[in-house]
Formats: sequence, structure tokens, C-alpha cells
Amino acid sequence: MAQGNKREITNDPARVAVTAAGVVSPLGFGLGETLESLRSARDCVTPVMRFSVTQCRCKTAGQVSDSRLLASHAQIRRSERLHRASHMMIQALQELVTQQPDFEPELTVVGTTSGGMSYGERYYRSLNGAGDLRHAPTWISNYPSQKPVIDAQTVFGISAPCQVIANACASGTNAVGHAFECIRSGRYQRVLTGGYDALAEMVFIGFDSLQASTPEKCRPFDRHRSGMVLGEGAAVLALENLDFARERGAPVLAEIIGYGISTDNFHITQPEPSGIGARQAMERALESADISAAAVDYINAHGTATVFNDATEGKAISALFNGVAVSSTKSMMGHSLGAAGAIEAVVCLLALQHQFLPANINFTNPDDGVDFNIVANKSRPAAVDITLSNSFGFGGTNASLLMRKFEA
Amino acid sequence: MSLAIAGMGWVTPLGTGVDPVWKRLLQGEEASVTTISEKLTDAVYSVFRVPDSALKGISHPRLRRASAISRFAAAAGLNALESAGLKPGSQNAERIAVIFAISNGGVTYTKRFYQEIVGTGAQAASPLLFPETVFNAPASHLAAILGVTGATYTLVGDGAVGLAAITMAEELMQNEALDYCLVVGTEEIDWLLCDAYRRWRLLRLAPPIEPFSRQNRGMILSEGAGAIVLARDGFVTIERAHPGGYFRKRAEAEKILKNILCDLSKVEIDLAISSANGTFIDQAESQAFHEVVPNALVYTGKPALGESVGAGGLWQIILAAQALCSKEMPPVLHAGHAVGLRLSLSRTPITSARRAIVLSCGLNQQAAGLRLAIQ
Repeated sequence: MAQGNKREITNDPARVAVTAAGVVSPLGFGLGETLESLRSARDCVTPVMRFSVTQCRCKTAGQVSDSRLLASHAQIRRSERLHRASHMMIQALQELVTQQPDFEPELTVVGTTSGGMSYGERYYRSLNGAGDLRHAPTWISNYPSQKPVIDAQTVFGISAPCQVIANACASGTNAVGHAFECIRSGRYQRVLTGGYDALAEMVFIGFDSLQASTPEKCRPFDRHRSGMVLGEGAAVLALENLDFARERGAPVLAEIIGYGISTDNFHITQPEPSGIGARQAMERALESADISAAAVDYINAHGTATVFNDATEGKAISALFNGVAVSSTKSMMGHSLGAAGAIEAVVCLLALQHQFLPANINFTNPDDGVDFNIVANKSRPAAVDITLSNSFGFGGTNASLLMRKFEA
Repeated sequence: MSLAIAGMGWVTPLGTGVDPVWKRLLQGEEASVTTISEKLTDAVYSVFRVPDSALKGISHPRLRRASAISRFAAAAGLNALESAGLKPGSQNAERIAVIFAISNGGVTYTKRFYQEIVGTGAQAASPLLFPETVFNAPASHLAAILGVTGATYTLVGDGAVGLAAITMAEELMQNEALDYCLVVGTEEIDWLLCDAYRRWRLLRLAPPIEPFSRQNRGMILSEGAGAIVLARDGFVTIERAHPGGYFRKRAEAEKILKNILCDLSKVEIDLAISSANGTFIDQAESQAFHEVVPNALVYTGKPALGESVGAGGLWQIILAAQALCSKEMPPVLHAGHAVGLRLSLSRTPITSARRAIVLSCGLNQQAAGLRLAIQ
């Protein structure tokens, strides 16, 4: 973990490789579909049908197809009882395991915000007279946040202990960042990491009640932005000590080189207006990687399209970087909360592997005071060696992750 | 790397302050039971609540709208920092990490928020309540009160999450840019939780919690917080924190607990602080203790303090540290006759005790353990 002070590790820190990844999100099932959606700058936000949104300002979200998820896992025992979040984690882990069947993590670190919230909602509605409580034990036992992680690990015979980080919208980046630090310090050789979140009525209405979500299109960093749309999904990454990975002949997809975390303590739902929290997280990631801001080719911004987030993040990026390429891929798939950081780490991985800049769609007019190069509306080919991914959450928690293209 | 305990604080149904509550436990006291009901159904549940007096003097603008879980955490956290003689400020704000262990989170506000949606519609949803429903709300309030600007993490899990948070603290403290880690476990009670655990056949309707009895009659929920300041030096050290594991079925809990105990008991163990709470956990832990550390004196504080889930692991560590320091073990209340276990059935002097194991088996598939030692 990168604190404000420069690292004082006595031994050389280990290099950390990403050796496999899996993803499911509104952009698609798997790395291939995700890449295709990113390259074609596809708008994957659709009307919400899962619960009633008639009284909400916002009526759309990025959603993962239930029928595809359930069809993929029909062979799993009692799969119909599992929460959607479990199905998403299973789907993502299946892709990772297919790439690296021999990957045996010593630890799992996963981020989430809501766990099996929709099962909690069903339970409460049934108590309130709107349903049959016979299924309550199933809902209750599938509600805890660690359950989707354990379900996925069980399916693939992974027995690693799991840490589930719930740092609001920064959870996914915190999970990947902490996993990175665990290997970098030499304490672990192999860590499975990622994030998940499934759309839930309560959370959807919560953001709507804060007027953080928009009835319009999600337009990160646009002068006329009016808020976020929610999303859902899961992503996992296999992290390994680079030397260990090469020794066993595992392909190295990219390197994670830096992680920064900060807490800005300003307000439980709003970032500190000067952008100090965001700036500290990015600065600490750069210090942790021992690189300059000029070395960063692409920033996958938190970019929720709320007035406050984009203003403060825009200020922080403008202050630290000079004309760097920036996009918020939430414009295409919505904000998947605890999954977002992990999914966006996969987006960065794909940008490094396939040498392109993912788009920031629905963009028309740049905001005042923002001095960077928005990848507006279309993805574009580019030489990308180093990416930075930001995630900021309620409670003033901020996290940044640096990834580098791997040169053998 | 071993870490040391530099300070401790807790808020429990038996009151607040490590020494006063410890004294009451040594005297064999048990928290007072109260009942909890809800308009939704006729079901009434017994719980161990934190007395109002325990939070006297805890006030801060950030806590004005915060729910009980955040107040418990703030009280315990400040108590632990005070006992460590540590004053967070601008000079050390980056050098202190905060890790929270939570299981059910701010369930009271979550229920109220959703109640309004179900009862009146989405337009009635309160923007003031929603942020308090987020798992990391208690951590963010305490970080703001302390002015911590570095790492703040909230871990979620079951009763083993407190010990997982200690493991995470060890991982963070590998970085020498950190001097201290404040680990806080916290939980609040709500009728909805009682009902959920009852439907899951883990709760009994009225006390006592009867640990290690032949029948698993169930637990009584409680609330509060436990906090520990970890540093690199100190009198009580965490010699080893086992990263834990998970079991797929309750019947498999014993196996993972044995693995953890085997790893922790490569040196002589004098004490074992159990998480036995009147459920399936008791049998699994009892067997594991019997087979792996048959000579250890076993204690569980849950009959006296209740099952506080997210706070429970931190309470167990505080109990272990207090036992090692004070050279006494409190009596296990309402204990059955557990074959093969050396239970602390009365207030027991332990003058030569140097090492204790803390074992936490959660209700939702997680398990963890650690070993404490005194110099």
C-alpha cells in the first residue's frame, strides 16, 4: 500500500504480473465480447426491467443478461438458489480458470458494495406480506457479501481464504490494489482478486434519492452532464509474483506497478471540492510505482458523470497530468459500484494488450477548467504502455491503480 | 512479522472500558436481556443491548445522523487510541491505517430506508438515510473524526471477519510507512437480524446461551464494538495470524478449524478463546480443541456478552489479551459438560500462561484464528 511517504521496503519489492482475467458486464460475457464493445464504443445502457422505476428520475442501467447467466450455469448443483451476484462471479472465474487451470491462489481479495442485497429485499417484502417466506432461509443464507466469492471458489475447487472489501465505489480498485501489495511485499505469491455487484432496487433508489443518477444519457466530463447510471457485473484477475509466473511458464498479460489510497474526510457522499483526495490517491500510486505523471498514457477515470465527481476528478487530473488521454467507460456500461474498479482494471488490461484507447461516449462539450484529452465518443488506436485507473467512493475513500504493458 | 497490541477499547452490553467490563466478566456477570419487536409480525426476540450510558460523552458532528453501529465504533476506537496514548493529528494522519470488520452493517437504517420505499414508494426514499446504509459508513465517520488521510478499509464477512481484519492489518504493516493500524469490529442489533437468524435456525428466543451443550439451542444476538491499536512493539504480541479459510457445509467446519489450530499450536498453548455461541460452531470447535490442543484452558465470552458477529472477533482478542495480562480466566457461563475440553468453569488463576489461541468460526462459512503471546 502506498502511503504518503515514499516506500521504505528494505528488500526489492516483487514485481506483480496479471496472468489471467475474467469478466462479465453489460459490455459482454468474457474478454472477447468486452473488447469488441469497447472498440465499437457501444452504449450498453438499457431500460431497467428488474424492478419498478416508475417513481425514479433515472430509468436506465447497464445490465447483465439473466438468461445467459443462468443458461451457463445450469449444471451447477442448486444453481437456481444462488444469487445473481454468485452467477456473475462464477462466470468471471470460469473464464479465468479456463486460461489458467493451474492457478492456485493463497488468498482471495474481492470488492463489493451490496452483496446479495436483492435477496434481502425479497425477504423484507415477504415479511411485509408480499410474498412467501418459505424461501427465506435460502435468501438469508445467500445474502452475505462473502457468499458469491465462496460459491465461485467452490465451483472451481479453490480453497483460498477470502477478504471481502466494502469501501463503497472504490472497493474493486482497493481489492486489486491490496492484492497487488500482498504480492509486492513478498507475503504471497499468488492472489485472486476482483469485484462484483448486482443491481438492486434499494441501491438504485438510493442513488436516485440523492439525485446522483440521471434521467438522461451518462455523459462523463461533459459540460451538460447530469448524473450517473448504475451498472452491474463481475471481474477477476489472477495476480502472481512475476518471477514465479515466468518460472511456471504462465503468460504475463500485464504488470501492476502501483497503487495509491487516500481518505479525504470531507463528506460522506461528496468529494473534497479541491480534488485533494483524488489527487493524493493518484500521487501515491505514482510514488508507489516510482514513475512520473508524464509516463502515463491513459487514464480510465472514475468519471461517474455526477457534477461533483467529475469536477473534482477533472481538477485533480488536470493538476497532475499534462494532456493525458482520459475516458470514463462508465458512459458505456454504467457504474457497477464494487465491481467497477475490477472491471475497469480489465478494461485497462485490454487497452494495454490491444493498444487502443477506450471511448468516453455521449460526450459533446468539454467542461470548464478541464485540461486533458478526452477520448470522445470513439475508441482509437494508440501506443499505450502505462494506464491509470481511478475509483472514488462514499466516505471519501479514493484509490488509483497503475498497470504497465509487459515486455518480456 | 508479529505485531503488538498497543491499545484496546470496547463497547459491550456489559458496559464500556476494557478493565471495568473484564472485572464484571471475572465476577461471572452476564449482560441484561431486553426484548425487541416489530410491527411486521408478532415475533419478539431477546437481545443483549449496549446500555445508553456506554456512549455517554461520544459526540461529533459526523455522528449527528449516524446510526448506532457508527457510534459504537467511534467510542471503541477512541478508547483504544487513548489507551495506546496515541493522538492522531496532521503529523501522523498518513501513518495510521484504519480497518473495519463488519458483518451485517447499518441494518437499522437500511431497513428504515427500504421500509419507506416499500411502504410509500421510491419518492419517499430519504437521501439522508441512504449513505448510512453503506458498509463503510462507520469507517468513514471514524476516519473523519480522527483525521486519518491514508488507508481506510472495511472488510465484510461473518463472525470470523474480525480476525481477517487483523490478518489484513499485518499485510498493511509490511509497509514501514505505517506506524499503527486501528482495527475496529462493530455491529448493531435490529429485529430484522434476529428474525433472519431465527429463520435460519441459529437463534433462540430467550437466554441463556449454553455453549458446548449436547443440543445446539441457539444464540442470542448482541451489539457493540471492539477496537485494537496494532503497533510493531508491545507487551502482548500477535505471534501468528492464520489467514483462515472457508467451509462449504456446516459439517465441514471442524476440518478447517483443526487445520487452523494445527498451524497455530506448533508451540505450547495455554489458553483458547472460543467462538462457541450455542450453535453448530460449538461442536466443531469442541472437537477441534479436544484433538489439537487438549490441554488448553477454553473460554467463550458469548454467554455473557452475546453473539455480536462483526464485533465478536475483536472481543475475543481483547479477552485473550486480558486473560494473559491479568493471569486470570473468567468463568464460562451456562456451560454444558463438554467431553474432553478443559473449560474455565469458574474464575481460574492462570499464573504461568504465556500463549493463547483465538479461534473464530463464523455462521456463514468463514473461519480464522490467531495466536497471542506475552513477553
